[in-house]
Amino acid sequence: MELSHKTLSKSGPYRELSLDNLPADVALSLYRQMLRLRRTEEALLAEYHPAEEMRCPIHFCIGQEAIPAALSQLVKPEDYMFSHHRSHGYYFSKGAPLRELFAEIYGRETGANAGKAGSQDISHSESHFYSGAILAGAVSIAVGAAFGFRYRKTNQIAISGFGEGATDEGAFWEAMNYTGKQKLPILFVIENNRYATFSDQLKRQDTDNIVERVRPFGVRATKIFGNDAALAYRTLQAEIARLRAGDGPALVEAYTYRWNSHVGPEDDGANNYRTAEEMKYWKENCPIVLFDEKLRAARMLDDKAKAAIEAEISAEIAGNFKFAKESPFPKDTDWRRMNYEDASPVADRLLGTAARGQFDQDQAEAKLGPY
Amino acid sequence: MARQLSYAKAILEATDQAMALSTDVFVLGQLVDTKSGIFGTTTGLVDKYGPERVMDFPVSENLMTATAMGAALTGLRPVIAHQRLDFMIYSLDAIANWLALWRFKSNGKSAMPVTIRTIVGKGWGQGPQHSKSLHSWFAHLPGLRVAVPATAYDAKGLLLESIFSETPAIFVEGRGLYSMTDDVPEEPYRVKFGHAAIRRPGKDVTLIAIGNLVPIALRAAATLEKEGIDVEVVDPRTLTPLDRKTLCDSAFKTRRLVVADPAWHSFGASAEIIATVVENLGDKLKSKPVRVTLPDSHTPMSMALEPEFYVDEPDVIAAVRQTLA
Repeated sequence: MELSHKTLSKSGPYRELSLDNLPADVALSLYRQMLRLRRTEEALLAEYHPAEEMRCPIHFCIGQEAIPAALSQLVKPEDYMFSHHRSHGYYFSKGAPLRELFAEIYGRETGANAGKAGSQDISHSESHFYSGAILAGAVSIAVGAAFGFRYRKTNQIAISGFGEGATDEGAFWEAMNYTGKQKLPILFVIENNRYATFSDQLKRQDTDNIVERVRPFGVRATKIFGNDAALAYRTLQAEIARLRAGDGPALVEAYTYRWNSHVGPEDDGANNYRTAEEMKYWKENCPIVLFDEKLRAARMLDDKAKAAIEAEISAEIAGNFKFAKESPFPKDTDWRRMNYEDASPVADRLLGTAARGQFDQDQAEAKLGPY
Repeated sequence: MARQLSYAKAILEATDQAMALSTDVFVLGQLVDTKSGIFGTTTGLVDKYGPERVMDFPVSENLMTATAMGAALTGLRPVIAHQRLDFMIYSLDAIANWLALWRFKSNGKSAMPVTIRTIVGKGWGQGPQHSKSLHSWFAHLPGLRVAVPATAYDAKGLLLESIFSETPAIFVEGRGLYSMTDDVPEEPYRVKFGHAAIRRPGKDVTLIAIGNLVPIALRAAATLEKEGIDVEVVDPRTLTPLDRKTLCDSAFKTRRLVVADPAWHSFGASAEIIATVVENLGDKLKSKPVRVTLPDSHTPMSMALEPEFYVDEPDVIAAVRQTLA
C-alpha cells in the first residue's frame, strides 16, 4: 500500500492490522487508551462551547489516537516529551494527570499550570511533558533535552511529537542536521494529518516524502499507516529500543487524520480544503474501529468487556469535569514573580562577593582588526 | 593595585571558573573550541574541559538556543555565545516564543537557566550587519534578565551570576570594551542584577550611561570637572531588572538628567530610563532630560561616517551642558 496523500483516500478499507506478536495485555491497553482519549476529547468537544467555560483554543485530536496510545505504552517516566499545539494526546501518553488538563483548560488554579497556559501551551514538568503552539520551536527544545541526556550519560530519550506542518519551518531542518550529525537519543514523531490548518501538504511541499528527505541527514526514518495502533506500537517499540541502545536519532511519520476542524468543534468545511471522500476513508479506517474488529476476532473483546471499559472511562471523565468546575480560579496577580525567579540557591552556594575597585576611564576602545 | 584583567579575559575567567565549579556548565557556540575562541573569551577551555563541554555548533542559531534551553530542562547550565548579536536574531523564536515565557507558562514549575552571550561590534567597518545594539529588544520581553556590563569587574561577576541563577540571561558585550582592564578579583564572585553602580559621584547633573558609553561618560565628566561642573555618572549595569531607585535617587539629588545609550534613539533604554525618572520626579527636575544615542539609522561602513554615527565624548559634554543652559 502506497503511503501518500495523493492516493491514500482511494485505497479502500485498511486490512493490514495484525495483533500477531502483540502481548494480550499490551493489545488491550492500546485499545483502552485509544478509547479513553477518544471519549475524553468527545466530552471536551461537547462541553466546549455550551457553557463557555473553556476559553482557550483547543485543537482536538479525535481520529489521531493510535500514536498517543502506542507511546503511552512505551515511554518511561524519566523520558521527556515535547508536543505541538494539538497537545492532549501527547499529554495523555506521558501519563500526566488528566484532571489537571481539564482544570487547566477551565482556567483554574488546580490546572497543570494554574490556568496560565491552556490547551496549546500546557506542560506538566513532574511528568516531563511540555508543549507549545509555535510548531517547530518545541522540536528544537526536544533536541536540547536529548543533548542533556547524552551529556549526562543517562538512558533517557526525548520524544518530539508534531505535525507535518512543522516540517515547513527551518527550525525542523536545523534539528535534522544537528541530531543526525550528533546521533542524539531523540525520537521525532510526525502525525501527518495532511493539513496545516487548511493548507494541504501537497500545496506547501513538492511531495509528501518527508522520510526520504530526512534520511540523508543521518536520521533513520520510517513511514507508517498511523491509524494502525499495533503497527505504531511495534514500530515505536523498535525505534525506542534502538535509541536507548545509543542508536539515534529516529523519525517515525504516521499518516493519520483529524476528524474535526483545525481548532474547536465548528465545521471548517466552508474553507473547502478537504473532500468528503477523504473524510469517509479516514472515518471508515478509524483507529479504534480497526483495532476493535481484530480484538473481537481474536476473542479478546466482547460487548460486555467494552461496556466495562466505557463505564470506567465515563466515570473518570465525569470526575475530571467535576474537579475542574469545582476548582477555584487563580487569584495571584504578582506579575513580576510569575516571570522572574528571585531565589538563586546555586549562586548563593557557589559565589561570594568581592569589592569593586575604581575603573580607569582613560583607556582607548579595543582596536578592531579587519574581522 | 589589585590584579588587572581585560574585559575579554574576565569573561574567559568567569566561564573557566563556572566550569570548574560545576560540571553542569557547558559552552556552545560557533568557533568556541578554536584557538581564537570568540575574541579570546573561550580560548583554551576545550583543552581544559574537553570537547563534550566546549562544543562548536552548526550555523543554526535558533537550534543552538533551543538546544541550550532543552539541556537546561535536564538540569544543565548552558552558556551559548554569538560572535555578533546580528546572528543571534535568527534565534528570536527560541527566545521570544519559548525562553522568555517558559517560567511563566509553567506556573513557575519549570526553569531554563540559560546564559546567552552576545557581542555588539563597533568600528573598522562593521557596518549594518555586525554592529546592531539591541539590548532594548530583550529588555522589553518579560522573563529575561539583560546585563550590559561596562567593566571587566562587572563582566566577570555578572556572567557568573547569570550562569548560576535561575532566570535566563542575555549578556550583551561591547566589543570595544574587550581590551579595557579593571581590578578583577581572582576568586569567583557575583554581581547581582538590578544594582546600578555610581561610577563617579557628583552633584550637578546625573549622567546615566550604558555599556560602552560608560568610559566615554566618565571622561566627559572629568573634562567637565575642569569647568567646575560636577557630574554624577551612574551605570545601570543591568537593564532587566533595572535599578530604578538608584537612578531616580541620583536624579533627585542633581535635578538634571542625561542618558547616554549606545543604541538607537527611539523606543530604547534611554526612553525607558527618562520615562522612569519623569514619572517619579518630573516636576522636580530643573531642566528637560536629554538623551545621547545613535541616530535612528543603520550603521555606516565608511571610516568617514563611523565617527559621525557613534557617540563620543563631545556629544556627551554637549548634552550635559544642555541641561545646564
